[in-house]
Amino acid sequence: MKQVREPIRIKWIWPVMLAIIVLGVPWYLPQGTYEPIIMGFPYWTFISIVFTAALSLFLTYVITNCWDMESTLEDDSKRQKTGGGSK
Amino acid sequence: MNLPFIGWHGVITIVLYALFILGTTLYLATKGVSRKSLSSFYLANKGLGPLLLFFTLFSTQYSGNTVVGYPATAYRMGFAWWMSVPYMVMVIVGYMLFAPRLHVVSKKFGFVTPSDWFDKRFNSKAVTLIATLLMAYGLLNYLLEQLVAMGQAVAGLTAGVIPYIYGVLFLIAIMLVYEWMGGLKAVALADFINGVVILVGVLGFLILAWVNFGSLGSATANLAQIAPSKVVVPQIESSMNWLSYYVLVGIGAAVYPHALQRIYAAESEKTLKKSLMRMAWMPFATTAVVLIIGIIGTQAFPGLDRMQSEQLVGMMANALAAKSTANYWFMMLLFSGVIAAIMSTTDSVVLSLSSLLSNDIYGKIINPKADEGQKVLWGKIAGIILVFVLLLIAWKPPATLIEIFTLKFEVLIQVAPAFLLGLYWKGLSKTGVLWGMIAGAVLAGAMTFTGVKTWHGWHGGVLGLALNLVVAVVLSFIFPDSPEEQKGAEESYAWTVKD
Repeated sequence: MKQVREPIRIKWIWPVMLAIIVLGVPWYLPQGTYEPIIMGFPYWTFISIVFTAALSLFLTYVITNCWDMESTLEDDSKRQKTGGGSK
Repeated sequence: MNLPFIGWHGVITIVLYALFILGTTLYLATKGVSRKSLSSFYLANKGLGPLLLFFTLFSTQYSGNTVVGYPATAYRMGFAWWMSVPYMVMVIVGYMLFAPRLHVVSKKFGFVTPSDWFDKRFNSKAVTLIATLLMAYGLLNYLLEQLVAMGQAVAGLTAGVIPYIYGVLFLIAIMLVYEWMGGLKAVALADFINGVVILVGVLGFLILAWVNFGSLGSATANLAQIAPSKVVVPQIESSMNWLSYYVLVGIGAAVYPHALQRIYAAESEKTLKKSLMRMAWMPFATTAVVLIIGIIGTQAFPGLDRMQSEQLVGMMANALAAKSTANYWFMMLLFSGVIAAIMSTTDSVVLSLSSLLSNDIYGKIINPKADEGQKVLWGKIAGIILVFVLLLIAWKPPATLIEIFTLKFEVLIQVAPAFLLGLYWKGLSKTGVLWGMIAGAVLAGAMTFTGVKTWHGWHGGVLGLALNLVVAVVLSFIFPDSPEEQKGAEESYAWTVKD
């Protein structure tokens, strides 16, 4: 029987997500600095861009790998209806 | 917005564009839509495929304000406005907290509106009523904002050759016709067309601005000289404000009634996953692009004050349009895109509001015995009346856009604990959730109305949500539901995780 996968119940993804989110905000960088300028962005914005991309990438991973409910539940209800069961 | 380069051409473009949308939606999206079934009308038979679902999520989330208001904010705030990119990604994080479970629950019980969840989970008239009123209030504010934006965009594009209110009335009429005929299916199709136009318009505008006003690099170097505070690592309070926006938008936009209804309307989990995965990357093509446009604007038009900066996109468009005929027509397309963006946000809000009125206010309180056809009809008519009442209010628009943008989230977000906790914890009692919502809304409302928008950078809505959660949990322990009620509550969601 397939396991129901739900993001909220997969504990390890949340600390990772929180770290990516919090490190994307420049609270820990020295206030008042902006050089070097990377690709037209002040360095701290560039760091935030990298973390934002990391967040989007991580979300893509979570959606793909940590979320599978409907198909599993449908399989179950079909099995119940036909009277069969998993071995 | 003042766009003297346009006038009758603008009027003709708007008319043709709107008629094109109307023709396409009426031709393609009214077949198979039953106006006698709530689910068919408001949720497109719960059969939105990946492409339509994605574009309707996209166009609903990114409104005309993203195109017109955000570059102006970037102009005033500088690079700290990069926050608008991750906070839009945060909406998907918000969805991850509850959408997977809510989707399967909504399918099983045939939910039409967010209030249906409240009804099923808490089985309390007071809870459902307060939640419905909070959502309706937030949606009304949101709708008002869209109408104001529509008025400004139309006024700019037609440059006063027709009074702008006629333009707005015309667009609203088109919108109401396709909505009346096709419900969510028509709205989603219009969103698809509008979404494509917005994307092309914004990217094209960036390229033209970059080529004509200088690159981002030169604008940044220039800004570091003339206004270093917009380039340097922001103050700690700005960083707190940044985090506060994450919570406000991430949770707030995810629990928008029309956003919740798109979770219900997704054809399948696979479709929903595909759409959300794409949405996680869209901020890079939208809010990031308009940020760069705003920064380039600081070099093209330096020294604008707050009010003048609101006109930034219009000024840039004027200057670009004056350079060549091709630019001129491209700018026309861009501003059709702006109006399209506003329209596609407005139509979703009107539809969602109408469903709240028909399914929840009329169907649950005024006339529970009504059949679905009556409910749909009642919702449509009440929705139209509300739109016209708001139009009257919109006649005197407030000065800038961003403040009202925050205000609508303040109250809407207060329904979040019912999803974030209610879907997972049977102990969340009706007393807890009810007083939590009320406490949160009162705190957020009081802060807004007394003009104290933030406290150490944190928005009233976020502080309200924190209070809301505390009150909800504490009161749930002091006044728990009876064991039978808790068992009933558990039955509404526990089956999703039997494994």
